Amino acid sequence: MSDLIIETKNTSVEEIISNAINCIEVDNVTVSFGSGKNIYTAVKDISLTVKKGEIVALIGHSGCGKSTLMGSISGMVKATQGTVKANGKIVSGPGPDRGIVFQNYSLLPWLTVYRNIYEAVDSALPSLSNAEKKKLVEQNLQQVNLWVHKDKLPGQLSGGMKQRVAIARAFAINPSILLLDEPFGALDALTKSNMHVELLKLWNLDNREKTIIIVTHDIEEAIFLADKVVVMNNGPAATIKEIVDISLPRPRNKKEIIHDAEYMKIHDKLLGLLIDKFSIDDI
Amino acid sequence: MKKYLLPIVYLVIGIAVLLGMFDLASMLTAGNKIPIPSASKVLSTLFGLWSDPFYDNGPNDKGIGFQLLVSLATVFKGFLLATLVALPVGYLIGSSKIIMSILNPIIQILRPVSPLAWFPLGLALFEASDKAAVFAVFITCIWPTLINTALGVASVPADHKNVGKAFGFSKWKTITKIYFPFSLSYIFTGLKLSIGVAWLVIVAAEMLSGGSGIGFFVWDSWNASSLEKVIAVILTIGVVGLLLDKAFSMMQKKFSYTS
Repeated sequence: MSDLIIETKNTSVEEIISNAINCIEVDNVTVSFGSGKNIYTAVKDISLTVKKGEIVALIGHSGCGKSTLMGSISGMVKATQGTVKANGKIVSGPGPDRGIVFQNYSLLPWLTVYRNIYEAVDSALPSLSNAEKKKLVEQNLQQVNLWVHKDKLPGQLSGGMKQRVAIARAFAINPSILLLDEPFGALDALTKSNMHVELLKLWNLDNREKTIIIVTHDIEEAIFLADKVVVMNNGPAATIKEIVDISLPRPRNKKEIIHDAEYMKIHDKLLGLLIDKFSIDDI
Repeated sequence: MKKYLLPIVYLVIGIAVLLGMFDLASMLTAGNKIPIPSASKVLSTLFGLWSDPFYDNGPNDKGIGFQLLVSLATVFKGFLLATLVALPVGYLIGSSKIIMSILNPIIQILRPVSPLAWFPLGLALFEASDKAAVFAVFITCIWPTLINTALGVASVPADHKNVGKAFGFSKWKTITKIYFPFSLSYIFTGLKLSIGVAWLVIVAAEMLSGGSGIGFFVWDSWNASSLEKVIAVILTIGVVGLLLDKAFSMMQKKFSYTS
């Protein structure tokens, strides 16, 4: 938890090749809710491709449709028009290839930490034997340092711990795609920092093969974590305003990165994209 | 110290006021054909009844403990049967708008009917008054459990449902791991209301059915013009009702979760 530097892994040739594969393809997606006069279009004509192993941050103001776009990828929201492909297959609903971490942890309060993960593993990976399922649960709880708390109920955990359980649950089903919907929004700054490091650690442990999409409104978070930041316009009928590449080398050091000239340039650019008129008169 | 002492002081004051009013009523009705007995007479009768609760002098003369057990057995039979019916039906109503629309008008018509009105139907169906009493309790207990279960199932938060959707929970797992545990505190509210009303109804039902039970005991005491016995049994009924209510309140609390 304390070390803020992420260990490097040598990138193999295979990885470079697999990195070129499109993992998520969002093609002209429009999502509307309601019908007739009360129709509300959250996002409109969005196209986006994400490569395997990439970390992409969706950023924008509250209510701009970030979560809706995310929902169309996870399958929790149905696209009104257009298609979403995950790993080459058209998304028609949630699936075990996509692990979801929800905004408000969404742990089942009557199940222990252990059972919360076990039930997810049991449902998502039915072909495994009981022993294999148990091993997976233990492994993933160990990885987020929560094995000692396995018999606690979510109500007995702090916010940061709850979110680690939710992340362990998403990782436990070993999805190729991880979808995180404002996962750290409710955490204090210090816990949040630690969680970023934890997340990247898990990503590294898996040889950076998992594709991660994270919805956030935190610019620092987006730059520290992502390879690509997708900035969205304000809704309704939100579209993509700009996609900003983050070419900062990994591993990124949380303390040093903020003094990096490139970091500051990206930070200013993103801030400018999010806040059009930036003068004292508007405040 | 003060924290523990005060409630006891208030309790003593409450009981003193009650006993005082009791004795006042006793004095005021002293000229009646059947005067209201004094508090001391009622209390001594109560202790008398409970000093030998399980005597058995033939079918029409049994101890209060026996009568109480008969009533409790009738209540729990009707209560359990009603729970078995109300839980699944409540689940269906809570989870489906269509079933809700079909069953709601029927429930709205039948729910306000006094359970005793069902007693003749029970007699006709089972041709036995004790079974008719179970039937009346059964009908009584259905509504609160049914309605609260439906309410619980209908108010499962989207967050919890999303977990099931996201990780591909089977229908069975969704019910047993999400809907049921969430609804439990609602269900226990329903069960608590059910057992409470059932305990109200059983006394009246046994006055109708006769033969045995705490309601019969009240009626029998009245026929023997023993008002002190009637009041002693009323106190017993009250205490048992309170215990039932507390037991279900405890269970309801046990199954309320904070996320």
